[in-house]
Amino acid sequence: MRQLFLILSLVFVSSISLAQQSKTLNAVVVKLNSVKDYTVNARVVAAVPMIKIKEVNAVLYFKQKDKFKIDAKGIAVLPKQGFIELNKFLTNTSKYMAIESTGKVIGGVSTLMVTVIPTDESTDIILAKLWIDSKKSLILASQLTTKSSGVMTTNYTYTDQAQFGLPSTIVFEIDVKRFKMPKSVAANIHQTDKQDDSKKDKQGKITVYLTGYKVNKGISDNIFK
Amino acid sequence: MMFLNNTYNEFIKIAAKPRSYIGLIALTVLISVIILAMKADGSTYISFVTASFEQTLSFSGDIMNGNLIAFIILQMLIVHIPLLVALVTGDLISGEANMGTIRMLASKPISRTQIVLSKFLAGALYTLLLTVWLGFLSLYVARWIFGTGDLMVLTSDGLIIHPESDVEWRYLYGFLTAYLSLLTVSTLSICLSAFAENSIGPIVSTMAIIIFFTIIGTMDVTVFDAIKPYLFTTHMAAWRSYFEDPVPWDAINESIRILIYHNVILIGIALYQFNRKDITS
Repeated sequence: MRQLFLILSLVFVSSISLAQQSKTLNAVVVKLNSVKDYTVNARVVAAVPMIKIKEVNAVLYFKQKDKFKIDAKGIAVLPKQGFIELNKFLTNTSKYMAIESTGKVIGGVSTLMVTVIPTDESTDIILAKLWIDSKKSLILASQLTTKSSGVMTTNYTYTDQAQFGLPSTIVFEIDVKRFKMPKSVAANIHQTDKQDDSKKDKQGKITVYLTGYKVNKGISDNIFK
Repeated sequence: MMFLNNTYNEFIKIAAKPRSYIGLIALTVLISVIILAMKADGSTYISFVTASFEQTLSFSGDIMNGNLIAFIILQMLIVHIPLLVALVTGDLISGEANMGTIRMLASKPISRTQIVLSKFLAGALYTLLLTVWLGFLSLYVARWIFGTGDLMVLTSDGLIIHPESDVEWRYLYGFLTAYLSLLTVSTLSICLSAFAENSIGPIVSTMAIIIFFTIIGTMDVTVFDAIKPYLFTTHMAAWRSYFEDPVPWDAINESIRILIYHNVILIGIALYQFNRKDITS
């Protein structure tokens, strides 16, 4: 009886996920796949505990399937994952199952929450939660749980390139509790008080403003070398 | 005029001694080795610094550039350069006593005070030469080899990334403050030299004092907390403060004040000692 219930449950969940993928998430994936390549100017504003950095300008290059390059004027601090990893993961629809549920309201838009569970254990992503504007087929927010980088929440806003699903602003919220400074670092001679790490901010935020998209104009492979 | 001539003579004496070139040669060799090592395997060194961040973040752009190399070199060498300074300046008065030329020197139509001051000035010029050479090799040669770019600095509070345009003045002030620190070492060794009759004593004593004060300064024991702020070795790393954000100007000014006090007091002691020194026996 228990086995029958388990089988029926699995069949039920599978049927739900397949149905949901074909509707909301697939529409998003189709939109993402319509972008063959793009170039965009980025302004990176990082507010990460223990890192002080001023705004940095960069140019981002992307070409299908997974070519990506950041050409920064100076040193830019960016999330290790987040620019193409999610898109790359989502476009391979055979490697995950998705479950839809009611999402939260983001910027006045009622979203649909899609929980994406990888079926391939080799992937770095353990779980992805996507809040999708189902009318426009746009991901408004995502929460990625990865093996290597922990939890990362990302918020997206769209303006002129919404038809391609390309955001104008990406806000990455990063878990920074893992940061540990090497003890061998030369001591600050002016620091007399012992610092209490527990009082420090635990959330880092990196905002990337993207302007001047050039979509599907063709990019040479040499740029990525 | 006599004072300037005597200072010039003192500098010529420094230039004539082979040991004066040990510092310059040592700096050239050491910096060349560091630059070569960084060129060969600098990325490993950088990954050690950024390792704790790289689980979540990635750093794009040219981290390994001349500005960072200069910072690494300064951090590595600024502790050891006092030895190179003391090697020459610790000999300035005691060397005369050792060779028996001190009486001839005192017979010149110049006061003992001026003799000592001209030795201090010559020592300061030599120290300046070492600092400028250090700056030239570490900053300009490193930039020539590695190119320039934003400067990533690791402090006890975390990482600070200074834009390339915001680096030049920090190095200028940093080198000036590092020079003041080395000048204090020069003054200390000349002061000790006034008490000695041989060259080795003041050189070894200077290094022993620096090592002793540095150990006291780094020991996390409350007994020493009261004296730590007054040790010149505590303030020898003040040059690093220009690379903090925001720059702790009050603390830097305090460091500069303490280093200047040390210089004045040590010159005063040397003048007092040399003026009452018995050079007839």
